[in-house]
Amino acid sequence: MTDKNRTVSVELTEPTVTFTLREVCERGGCHAEFVIKLVNYGVIAPVEESLEARLWLFDLQTLARLRKAQRLQRDLKMNIPGLAMSLELLDEVTEMRREVDRLNQQLQHFLDDS
Amino acid sequence: MDFKDYYAVLGVSESASPEEIKKVYRKLARKYHPDVSKEENADEKFKDVGEAYEVLKDPEKRAEYDELKKYGARKDGSFQRPPGWESASGFGGGGYTEADPGQFSDFFEEIFGGGRRGGAGFGGQRHSMRMRGEDVHARLAMFLEEIVKGCERQVSFNVQEADANGRVVPRQKTLNVKIPAGMKEGQHIRLKGQGAPGVGGAENGDLFIEVEYAPHPHFTVQGSDILVTVPIAPWEAALGASVTVPTVGSKVNLKVPKGSSSGRKLRLKGKGLPGKHPGDQLVVLQIVMPEQHSEKAEELYRELAEAEKAFNPRSKLHV
Repeated sequence: MTDKNRTVSVELTEPTVTFTLREVCERGGCHAEFVIKLVNYGVIAPVEESLEARLWLFDLQTLARLRKAQRLQRDLKMNIPGLAMSLELLDEVTEMRREVDRLNQQLQHFLDDS
Repeated sequence: MDFKDYYAVLGVSESASPEEIKKVYRKLARKYHPDVSKEENADEKFKDVGEAYEVLKDPEKRAEYDELKKYGARKDGSFQRPPGWESASGFGGGGYTEADPGQFSDFFEEIFGGGRRGGAGFGGQRHSMRMRGEDVHARLAMFLEEIVKGCERQVSFNVQEADANGRVVPRQKTLNVKIPAGMKEGQHIRLKGQGAPGVGGAENGDLFIEVEYAPHPHFTVQGSDILVTVPIAPWEAALGASVTVPTVGSKVNLKVPKGSSSGRKLRLKGKGLPGKHPGDQLVVLQIVMPEQHSEKAEELYRELAEAEKAFNPRSKLHV
C-alpha cells in the first residue's frame, strides 16, 4: 500500500469523451430503463438525439448528472417527475448562487475602490 | 471509541415514536443531502443522520441500542462493547438496507457489524468475482491565473480498496494532474483508470474532477469574459487618458475615451478565458476622487462649476 505520485496529463480533447447507454448503466449500477426514463423526462440528454437508445452517447456532464439523480432517488426516495423537477431547481439554485457570489464580489471590488 | 448518541443526532427524545423518528429523518435527509445542501460538513451530517435512522427505525436494533446506551456508554462519552455482546438483529449477515454500510462509523460496525468482522464470507468469493472499480468524484478549486494559463496541481482523494484480509478500506491517493487552460466552472475532466482498483483483474474505475473557481481579489468571471473594475481620476474621465489596467497575470494599456462616466464598460478583445471561442476582458470604469484637494484644485473646480452650470446630473430623478 504505497502511495505513488504519478503525473497524468489531461488532453484538451478529454472533455469530449462519451459513453454508451450500456457503459453508463455499468458504471452507475443502474438499469437501462431508468436512464431511458430520465431521457424521456428531459432530466438528461444524449449528445445527439436518436430514436434508438442503443445509439445514444452521453458526455461527462451527463454522467455526473445521472449519478446525482441516482443518489437523490436512493436517498430521498424520489420518483422520476420529482427528480426532474428537483434537478432543474438545483440547477437554478447553483446558477443563482454563482451569480450572487459574482455580484457580491463585484460590489466588493467597487466599494473597495471608492 | 466514542459512544454515538443517535437520538441527539436526529434531535429526538428517547421516547420518540417510530413515526416521529421517520418524519425527522426525512426532513434532515433533505436538509443535509450532499447534492442539495451547501452547509459545511453536509456530507458527514448526512451520513450520521442515515446511520442513526438505520438503527432507530428498526424496533429490534433500537432495543439493542437502548440497552447498550444504558450499560455500554461511559460518563466521559467513550464506549466499550460489553463482553460477550452479540447483536441479535442479524445485521452482519447482509441485512443492510439501501443505505451504504461502508459509510457507517466504527461505532456502528462495532455493535451491528458482527458478521463482517474477519470478512470470511467475502474473502472466499473474491477470487471468482470480477468487478469494475468504482468511479471516484473529486472537486478542485482553481485560481483564475491557473484557469487562464493551465496548471499542474496535486489532487488528493479517497478510494475504497480491499486490504490483505479482504476488508474494504478507504485509502488516500494523490496524483499530479496537468489541467489544460480555459476550464469552465462546473466542467468535468476524466482521468481514466485512476479511480478505485477493479476486483479480479477487472478494469479500474475512473477519477472525475469537477472544476470550481476560487474567488479572485480583483477579477470576476462572467461566462468566458473576465470583469475588472478600474478606478480613474475625474480629469482622466473628462479629457480621456491612456491608463494601465491589469489582466490576469499581466497588464495592458487602455485608452479611456474622452467624457467617460462611471460604470462605462470597455472591452479588451480576446483577453478573457482562453478556449475555442476566447472571451474578452471587460473593464468597468469607476471615477474616484482624491482624498484631499489642494486649494488650487478647489479654485479650478469652482471655475468649472461656473462654466458648466447648465449640467444637471440628477435630471433622471426629476429634481
